[in-house]
Amino acid sequence: MSTVDTRLESADDLQQYRKQLLAERDETTRRVRVCLGTGCTAKGALGVMESFNRAAEELGDDSVLVESKCTGCHGFCERGPIVVVDPGNIFYQNVKQEDVPDIWRESVIGGRVVERLQYKDEKSGKTAATSDEIPFYSAQHRIVLNHNGVIDPTRIEEYLAVGGYAGLAKTLSSMDPEQVIEEITASGLRGRGGGGFLTGRKWRSARNAPGEPRYVIANGDEGDPGAFMDRSLMEGSPHSVIEGMIIGAYAIGSSQGYIYVRNEYPMAVKHLNIALEAARGMGLLGDDILGSGFSFDIRINRGGGAFVCGESTALMASLEGRVGEPRAKYIHTVESGLNGKPSLLNNVETWANVPQIILNGADWFASLGTERSKGTKVFSLVGKVKNTGLVEVPMGMTLRQIIFDIGGGIRGDKAFKAVQTGGPSGGCIPATFLDEPVDFDRLTELGSMMGSGGMIVMDEDTCMVNVAKYFLGFLKEESCGKCTPCREGVAQMLHILDNITKGKGRQGDIERLEALGTLLEDTALCALGKTAAYPVLSTLRYFREEYETHISQQYCPAKECPGLFKYEINGEACTGCRLCAKKCPVDAISGEKKKPHTIDQEKCTNCGTCFDVCAFSAVTKV
Amino acid sequence: MPTVTIDDKPCVAELGETILQVARRNGIWIPTLCYHPAVEPYASCRICVVEIDRGGWWQVVTSCNYPIRGDLTVRVESERAVRARRGVMELLLARCPESAELRELAGRMGVEGTPHPHVTEAQRNCILCGLCVQVCEETIGAAAISPAGRGVERSVAAPFRLASEDCIGCGACAAVCPVGTIVVRMHENEVEISPFKSRVKLRRCADCGTPLASELAIKALSARGGPTVTEMLDGEDCCSRCKRRKLAQELTSGHGRSPADLIA
Repeated sequence: MSTVDTRLESADDLQQYRKQLLAERDETTRRVRVCLGTGCTAKGALGVMESFNRAAEELGDDSVLVESKCTGCHGFCERGPIVVVDPGNIFYQNVKQEDVPDIWRESVIGGRVVERLQYKDEKSGKTAATSDEIPFYSAQHRIVLNHNGVIDPTRIEEYLAVGGYAGLAKTLSSMDPEQVIEEITASGLRGRGGGGFLTGRKWRSARNAPGEPRYVIANGDEGDPGAFMDRSLMEGSPHSVIEGMIIGAYAIGSSQGYIYVRNEYPMAVKHLNIALEAARGMGLLGDDILGSGFSFDIRINRGGGAFVCGESTALMASLEGRVGEPRAKYIHTVESGLNGKPSLLNNVETWANVPQIILNGADWFASLGTERSKGTKVFSLVGKVKNTGLVEVPMGMTLRQIIFDIGGGIRGDKAFKAVQTGGPSGGCIPATFLDEPVDFDRLTELGSMMGSGGMIVMDEDTCMVNVAKYFLGFLKEESCGKCTPCREGVAQMLHILDNITKGKGRQGDIERLEALGTLLEDTALCALGKTAAYPVLSTLRYFREEYETHISQQYCPAKECPGLFKYEINGEACTGCRLCAKKCPVDAISGEKKKPHTIDQEKCTNCGTCFDVCAFSAVTKV
Repeated sequence: MPTVTIDDKPCVAELGETILQVARRNGIWIPTLCYHPAVEPYASCRICVVEIDRGGWWQVVTSCNYPIRGDLTVRVESERAVRARRGVMELLLARCPESAELRELAGRMGVEGTPHPHVTEAQRNCILCGLCVQVCEETIGAAAISPAGRGVERSVAAPFRLASEDCIGCGACAAVCPVGTIVVRMHENEVEISPFKSRVKLRRCADCGTPLASELAIKALSARGGPTVTEMLDGEDCCSRCKRRKLAQELTSGHGRSPADLIA
């Protein structure tokens, strides 16, 4: 926790303070950085941290300076808990509490490496000493995640030392609001929450809208299954979000901001609260920020866990204390948002980009990415990929680079089938488009969307009808139920999909799904409903024959839908161990000991127990 | 003043009016369910959708709350608009196959039945239009009920689905309900608003015992500064029928007030 009691009265003060911080820093200090992001914490990082702290306390030698600190998510969640030792930036993965003495003795004190805990590349067989040598990291380009894993998010000094709040200081000391908006507009930054609307244009509208007070809001209600970009940012680098918001508030003339975070993100809420308090204490937030005369403060509101509250109008209704449901956007929220006043809402990641753009200039930002999608995008890469985690790449990188170079390819070396982008309202992109660049417009053309950055990789064993059913099931639970098409239409579509995956599909079902999809797109009230059918429509676009096979042959080509494929025993692989026969709940398996067994298809209920228990992979799906 | 062209018919409109208001004034019928002139448009039912020209592309919007901000071209009877309204109605019919009100509106729209099965349950044909919630909050000021639950589990209820403590038993919710879900039941000494389980003390006619209104509704009306129900009933606390009867007796009995007094 931060204990700074300096109040910074000007931009110069900030610069002086930063110089002082850097001067006080002893480069010979040995540092252990333990990732305490939610992923690593779940895998036991707190115990690891504790052991390092204890080791540091017990060290009786004053000649070495040792510091152990927690950091936000490093991104490589697949290999967590992650520990990095400085100097040397030595990267350790899958660290357990019992590994701590080794790392301490060999690496921290001894300056050597503990090879068994280092990353070893599967393809090249090479051991990586630092994170830069790991393909997962080397192909990334980190702008918003650049402090994640480096600084302790609960200490404002660390953020200041790496140049934090310099963008704000520049804004307040040398730019007028118009210039700020021009800079953001020129950078080409587009909203990272999903819509991809031009951020500068949104700021301009908010500034021009009449009415007081005016509000600035950060949307941290990340709810897409498998997505954790915003969470990791709020946990690992909360000040960059706050700094962006203060700059935005200055640009549109707002004095009150809100961060809407889902309550399921307790660490994000905690770190944001610590950050807000520290920023206030130092004169970076509150009255007369950095002596500029500009005042602005931020409140945190915790969401109750409704997916729809990530939609801007529903979020604002929730902030007002009303039922979190959307309203028509015929009058935009920049004109009439929270309490009917001009409100500038941006996603957490969008805000985190702002200080960097101000500091490094619009040209620098616009030099990254594609023609119409600038900068980088953070994705949470999950599913059947080897290296799951958080990745930040320049816009325009191909899907293949992200999934195969950074992600390391498909788990178990199965074949790639599709990647789902854009969250529940996104779509599935098949292998033929793996070399397409990832940007806002191209993903939309492919029938999917950027969304907030969820990226779920699927392998050959994934049934696309089942995938569509999964997302529709999610949306049925999360639809607020206000408008007829979303509430009733999603339920009807799910009913049809459920029938198809159970072998009860009928001719005409596909056409009915398409008609309902169009109806939702045309008539649903909010973006959640308008795009709810996309998982169905995009899988129909690329995997229509899978739907048809389910319906006409009652067969699931991916062999995932129970009952729509058979289990058989391969006589050559079967050792006759009798295990499957003993475990079969309906006595469908017969055969003598040490001789190949067979399954009586009449009795078999397709429960899959034999498949799961066979140690010789003799049970196959056909 | 802006011109709103609806299906090739130019209509004069005022800024801030909605497409539906302009259409209605010009005799163009657009079906509605969740719309009521007494409250702000909620736009939940989506049955009133039309197409508008966005310059190069056509957007489907709800006519009940789309504000006129300048000249606008609207299509009510285009293939896409008709198909959209039909689609919404078919979904509602699947939800509430028993509703006579819905079937009647569907008939007027040319929709004969629905291709969808009945997969969601509605409480007494409730289409969740939200009018009851709005009138209770905006017009009555009681805010006794609100939407509860999400998605297909959504329903209208008082907090925790218990009998409401804020309901004044006025029955406005029942009056605006387009499908007859809400029923006002008269008991011996109470008025019940069903299905919200609320019961409020009932005042009956002092003479014949006909139910007059809930005590709380009478109190609420007085608090607004308007004439109280008793005053409207000329201080006699009886129903209009009994009042007429009494007046007739007075006039025919030859003493008391004369017809001239009454006019004055």
